[in-house]
Amino acid sequence: MVISDQTVYAYAVGRVRALETRLLDRGRLERMIEAATADEALKVLAESDYAGAVGELADLYDFEQLLAAELKNVFKTVLRISPAPDQIAILALRYDVHNLKVLFKEKYLGLKSDLLIDAGTLDHENLQYAVNEDDFRDLPEQLRKASEKISEEFLLNRNPQMIDIAFDQALYSRLLAETARLKSEFLTGLFTRQIDLINLKSLIRVKRMRFDRDFLRKVLLLGGRLTPERFILLVDEPLEALITSLAMTDYADLIAEGVRDWIERGSAARLEKLSDDFISAYLKRSKWTPFGPEPLIGYLWAKEMEINNIRLILVGKINKLPAEAIRERLRDGYL
Amino acid sequence: MEVRVNPTRMELNRLKKRLKMAERGHKLLKDKRDELIRQFLILVRKNKELREEIEKELSGAFAQFLLARAVMPSVILEEALMYPTKKLCLEIHKQNIMSVYAPKFTWVEEESTQGEESSIYPYGFVETTAELDSSIETLSAVLSRLMELAEVEKAVQLLAEEIEKTRRRVNALEYVLIPKLAETLKYISMKLDENERGALTRLMKIKDVVRAKM
Repeated sequence: MVISDQTVYAYAVGRVRALETRLLDRGRLERMIEAATADEALKVLAESDYAGAVGELADLYDFEQLLAAELKNVFKTVLRISPAPDQIAILALRYDVHNLKVLFKEKYLGLKSDLLIDAGTLDHENLQYAVNEDDFRDLPEQLRKASEKISEEFLLNRNPQMIDIAFDQALYSRLLAETARLKSEFLTGLFTRQIDLINLKSLIRVKRMRFDRDFLRKVLLLGGRLTPERFILLVDEPLEALITSLAMTDYADLIAEGVRDWIERGSAARLEKLSDDFISAYLKRSKWTPFGPEPLIGYLWAKEMEINNIRLILVGKINKLPAEAIRERLRDGYL
Repeated sequence: MEVRVNPTRMELNRLKKRLKMAERGHKLLKDKRDELIRQFLILVRKNKELREEIEKELSGAFAQFLLARAVMPSVILEEALMYPTKKLCLEIHKQNIMSVYAPKFTWVEEESTQGEESSIYPYGFVETTAELDSSIETLSAVLSRLMELAEVEKAVQLLAEEIEKTRRRVNALEYVLIPKLAETLKYISMKLDENERGALTRLMKIKDVVRAKM
């Protein structure tokens, strides 16, 4: 559905503006980091919008359930208020893809797990049926192709990495196809940027694993703003070459800082944080669009980042990580 | 606390044999104990070295894993690691260390595919953090040494048990059985001597009586 008159977004945008004010701000996250114990961090969290959920939490270690429920609710709320739910639904597609990966692995391992995520758009039972019966007719086209490929090839090579790679490829080609159909430049911009950042990270990871360019070719996602060839050419170059080679792109700053940090400390933390912040910055640019899906998408992303930050802090607090290690991984807020 | 026996010459011979046997056993067991302790010390040293090395590596890997865990939702992390790429086939044989049967491990890695696809990384790169890679790499590298450690540690445990048993036997022989036998032997020989002396005096007495009558 393509909406020509964007004023139908008036209500949804207004609603999201109100919800945005309840996002956790930097100060509160900082207080959680400074808390002496995980319990105290949780108390700080309980002062916020999470009060009800925290109150129901029986055990501190169940916080993942709290976060999963929150994620599901956020998607439900935004889907409900959005006049064009299909624009929102494609953002939940990665959870469907996750569920498909889980179901395929369950099938080949012959066991059951409880790793499914509720926030997806496709019904778990239908997915389960499709995977069990090799009947993928009802899946979106790209996912169907990936599923068919896996069910043909997996038993021959038994490589679980292939499942993940095939579905990751399918996910992003699906996302790009959908945004093209919806003619949403904003979403296309978002996904192509995500693809570039993922490809960039994949390149460095493949280099670190000392695999060759054929492997990289399989892993790289198509459709980004930078062509896969640019990355493939860099496989045999030292990492420093990456910084100069991509110096003329939008990613120059983040690459210079993130990759240098990776080279020096052997840790991807900085680059990953900067990548997420880059996406946040992109979304923030359209934050003040008065009528349109942009603020909704921005809010969803902000909420996902917030949930990731809470997880990071709680895991860090439970395991007594130094505050600095938590802080350097903390994603920037959307506010 | 001597053994209650009949003080006969036959019993004396029997006990003498037992004492000799006990002494021989004691000597053998003592040798066995010394050798066991020597072996034990070698293994314990090796064990300590291995353990310290592995613990250092593991704690590094766990720290990295924790960081990966902190930036990924647990379900996505578990999905990523759900299906392992490698299967390890472990065969357990026995090895004889001083008649202690310790396990001897041999293992073969069954690989699911060939070439670079047989990587240790069972996950795709989109949803996973790069911090996971290094921890998986360390964990996978440490695995074979971990098995070696398990082997050595089990051997050390079994040896320790055996040493304890042997030592108890040695002590039982040295402080209980051998003194007891020696004492009994002494008792019997004294009793026999006593009897002999009794017989002698009796004979002399009879001789006196007979002589007086003549």
